[in-house]
Amino acid sequence: MFGLILRRLMASIPTLLAVVFLSFFLMRFAPGSPFDGERPLDPETRLALDAAYGLDQPIIVQFGRYITGLAHGDFGPSLVYRDFTVTDLIWTGLPVSLLIGALALLLAMAGGIAIGLAATLRPNGPLDCRLMLGMTLLTALPTFVTGPILALVFALWLGWLPVAGWGNGAPVYVVLPVLALTLPTMGAVAKLTRAGLAQIMTQDHIRAAQGRGISGWRLISRHALRPALLPVISYAGPAAAGLLTGAVVIETIFALPGLGRYFVQGALNRDYPLVMGVVTLYAALIVLFNLIADVLYGWLDPRVRG
Amino acid sequence: MRRLFNALPAMLVLLILVAAWLLPPFLPWDYRIIDWDHVSSPAFTPGHLLGTDNVGRDLLSRTLIGTRITTMVAIAAATVSLLIGTLWGALAGWCGGRIDNVMMRIVDALYALPFMFVVILLMVVFGRSILLVFIGIGAVEWLTMARVVRGQMLALRQRPFILASEAAGASPRFIIFRHALPNMAAVILAYLLLTVPQVVMVESFLSFLGLGVQEPMTSLGILVKEGADDMDVFPMALMVPGGVLVTLVICLTLLGERLRDRWTA
Repeated sequence: MFGLILRRLMASIPTLLAVVFLSFFLMRFAPGSPFDGERPLDPETRLALDAAYGLDQPIIVQFGRYITGLAHGDFGPSLVYRDFTVTDLIWTGLPVSLLIGALALLLAMAGGIAIGLAATLRPNGPLDCRLMLGMTLLTALPTFVTGPILALVFALWLGWLPVAGWGNGAPVYVVLPVLALTLPTMGAVAKLTRAGLAQIMTQDHIRAAQGRGISGWRLISRHALRPALLPVISYAGPAAAGLLTGAVVIETIFALPGLGRYFVQGALNRDYPLVMGVVTLYAALIVLFNLIADVLYGWLDPRVRG
Repeated sequence: MRRLFNALPAMLVLLILVAAWLLPPFLPWDYRIIDWDHVSSPAFTPGHLLGTDNVGRDLLSRTLIGTRITTMVAIAAATVSLLIGTLWGALAGWCGGRIDNVMMRIVDALYALPFMFVVILLMVVFGRSILLVFIGIGAVEWLTMARVVRGQMLALRQRPFILASEAAGASPRFIIFRHALPNMAAVILAYLLLTVPQVVMVESFLSFLGLGVQEPMTSLGILVKEGADDMDVFPMALMVPGGVLVTLVICLTLLGERLRDRWTA
């Protein structure tokens, strides 16, 4: 088990380095500069700014500095939010994004598995067909459409919840963003659970259990559920990645002060260090989630522990 | 009735495409023209079937043009992913051994990348031109295609007609393009169809954030964004492009899944 974790950690290092490398060099070869404004700066100011941010050094030196900084948890200064370092911005944004993302992941998993189970109780029955059609629709609904529609219905028309904003994390502000983020992932989880269960139910050990007179809920919960959840667990990694991407849109729609907002602002303003920092962090989070999913998988399925 | 229901996705896609590509020239108002007399007017205003947006542009013609741009980007990007993915997968599957191993490890590593962020990074770096939107998307979306084609190639590699052709001295290029690829055309087509709705989503996502297609051009993503901005006074501006987008994505996904299940079973 420990060996598995260690091996997976080692394997994730090249991926992370590739992300850092790619984002660094892409950003540096970009045309335009964060100091480009309405009027061109005079050359002296320009040189002084470049020197202050180390942009006058050879690119290899800049990359070396950046990597060294990263290893110390320093993402460099933000070029647009002048009084903040990228690390400051990440620390203010991360808790918001993590709260939203973690709630959405939990809800999606719990809801999706429950719906998948409900559908399997009577395979191909009317409930099953309707639920699965509904889930297919959910997975096809992009968050940037469901988000505004939820806000329109529950905030503007019904007036139950605030339209947008964070309100220091008061629960009423969290409901709509989390809901919008949950729906597509929940659909995918439900479909996977349903497919996994359907496949397991045809296997010998299930028939053996049925032969011993076990049926209904007990059969599913004690004999079928654990192996059927394996594909769901391995989906947790990609799901987390999808939630992070979805969070970028959701934070923009609901004006939440999360990482995704800084990312979009950084991308629109050419704030290189900010964009690089957030991409690196996202990559690290995705790698981490894949790792957790793999470890869970190994715990559920002894065959892959090795 | 059941057959009608089964044909529904294809018919809807066809309807949307035909409307988007043929209808705009016949509409009274161009998608860029501002009608100063009807700003933010509701549906069924004379000349504006679906009303106008907050600067007085016709919503129907904007939605149709947006659909056209979105589908164009989607088809182009899917083609890019088709080219890269097919070549990469065919080569890996044909060569086998160590080359295959390295090539597929690269695909695995790229799968682990937060790919939406890579696309955004590309947009930021190379400027927000429509050409780059689809090259960027296509360059990232080819991974699944590469895996599928490689799997097919590995299976075909052992089939007698391929071995016979090899024994007869045909060059690998000839075998791959004349024997192998035509044989898996159905599978490739099914996955191509599944790539299109994904690309539609990515393009709309980027445009929604302001990182994709730029004004005065428009796309479904931009229209959804604009609609979301003034949905409190004019919900139609959100519902119409959002509805078209969702219909397109759902129908294309259903079609693709059906073809995949039929042709790969």
